[in-house]
Amino acid sequence: MVARSTRSLLPYILITPPIILVFGLIFFPAAQSFVRTLTGVDGSFSFERYLEFMNDRSSVTSLIFTFQVTFLSLIGLFAICYPLALYLRFSNSRVAYWAQMVALLPLFVPGIMSAYALIRFFRGRGLLETIIYQLSPVLSETYYSPYVKPEGIIIGSIWESIPFTVLVLLAGLRQVESGLIESAQDVGASRWTIFFQIILPLTRRAALIAFCLNFIAIFGSYTIPYLLGPAAPQTLGVLMQRTYQEYAQPLQAETQAVITFAVCALVGLLYVRTVSSQRTGRN
Amino acid sequence: MTTLTLSMRDRLKRYAAREGFGLFALIFLIIFIVLPILTVLLWGFAIRWRFPAVIPTEWGFDFWQETLSRADLRRAFPNSIVLSISVTLLSMVICLPASYAFARMNFRGKQFFLLSFLFTNAFPRLGLYVAIAIIFFRLGLVGTFAGVVIVQLLNTLLLMIWIPTAAFQGVERSLEEAALDVGASRLRVFMQITLPLVFPAVFAAVLLTFVNTFYETYGALLIGAPNVLTIPVIMFPLINNQPIPQYGAILSLVLFAPSVVLLLFANRLLRGGYLTAGFGV
Repeated sequence: MVARSTRSLLPYILITPPIILVFGLIFFPAAQSFVRTLTGVDGSFSFERYLEFMNDRSSVTSLIFTFQVTFLSLIGLFAICYPLALYLRFSNSRVAYWAQMVALLPLFVPGIMSAYALIRFFRGRGLLETIIYQLSPVLSETYYSPYVKPEGIIIGSIWESIPFTVLVLLAGLRQVESGLIESAQDVGASRWTIFFQIILPLTRRAALIAFCLNFIAIFGSYTIPYLLGPAAPQTLGVLMQRTYQEYAQPLQAETQAVITFAVCALVGLLYVRTVSSQRTGRN
Repeated sequence: MTTLTLSMRDRLKRYAAREGFGLFALIFLIIFIVLPILTVLLWGFAIRWRFPAVIPTEWGFDFWQETLSRADLRRAFPNSIVLSISVTLLSMVICLPASYAFARMNFRGKQFFLLSFLFTNAFPRLGLYVAIAIIFFRLGLVGTFAGVVIVQLLNTLLLMIWIPTAAFQGVERSLEEAALDVGASRLRVFMQITLPLVFPAVFAAVLLTFVNTFYETYGALLIGAPNVLTIPVIMFPLINNQPIPQYGAILSLVLFAPSVVLLLFANRLLRGGYLTAGFGV
């Protein structure tokens, strides 16, 4: 009897330490911050901290700017990665092998190093402008550097997210069986029909996972927007870090944090639901 | 003769039609991804490099000594190493038994608890660390080594639980049972059958955890600074508005060193599908 009860407790004992970390350092702080941002100075329920955020022009600008940058990055990211992943899935050539190797490289580059690399490459008189100048000095006069501009954030976010997005999409595409496509070809389906009727629906989950995780990562990022983006407007990540450390206003930073949580929570729930439905479907 | 050249041209055309997109993609990726990385490498060994020279006009190691003897790096380097090792070891101690439980034992709420680790990805990091910092401030953990270890540990959970869990699930039970039948002890079965089979996956998880922690920036920035500085954190001022580009380049290369090890195993990591398994794909 004793042996049985310790046995049934054993798994709980084993999983307790990491579970404590997840609940103590994710759910608890997030919930606590959420409740605190809804509490007024007198301790009663109040929206005053959100009103303060909404009445501050730079905060609102920052929120809108973050949305714009995130969406444009995601559009660019999928425009590059989806065709690339499709090509990698259906080609066994040497070109495909090398394209995949190169596409995965940023995975091994630390975030701060990629920011530095992109600055040195894209800034005025950087390597890119130098190469263009060597090809045609006239053309180089029209060079538009994305450094310290919104485009810089978009390029940097895309650069960092390519490997993960390609991997996830490729994993999704691998689940599309070649036999399925061949039999569709046999009955005379066109390339477009195969793409829209078979491949796209079957890779929806992978695309959703890639969308969600990239959205959260780009929406809340700091390194790339801080180093590659303009001084104004700032993204929420940069604003939050400034508010917390430079202006030493942890409460205002907390409000900004909870607002990013609220935005990302919707996307995060979609992610968790997508993965969990996939797993229970598999078991 | 003409038929031969025609067929050659035909073949070339067919090759271009088939690989046209691939070649275009490869060239784009080389310009977009490889050239920026190459720029860092060139700056790391450049003494003089002015526009419009495509490569540095003067090469040398002069800036290495200058950079490596900087006081901030001398403080940050040991911090980064000790932090990454402690976080990786702690993560193994906490997560590996848990992943064994998730893979091998049946208990209530198993799916729920396993999925709860996904939430480490569902929150924007910086925002979460602001919320954590407010709690840590009251606990006196802001600016301490322990504080940074705890936040960085949070980052490792998903990888260190999901990858080994999948590996433990993949071990054929019949192999272990056969060994038990012929009289091997449970410990011996675990050491000689289970462990060797899960070793590649666990090794991948450990390697990824170490490298990720070495690069971790936001936790170290918000919780550690200004007392506990790591290499990524001291790089911000060296990249922003720094008139000497070599500092940033050399520190980037120092930071990149563990990645070279990871790159050596890259093929195996990818083939095992470990990288995406850590995200629930």
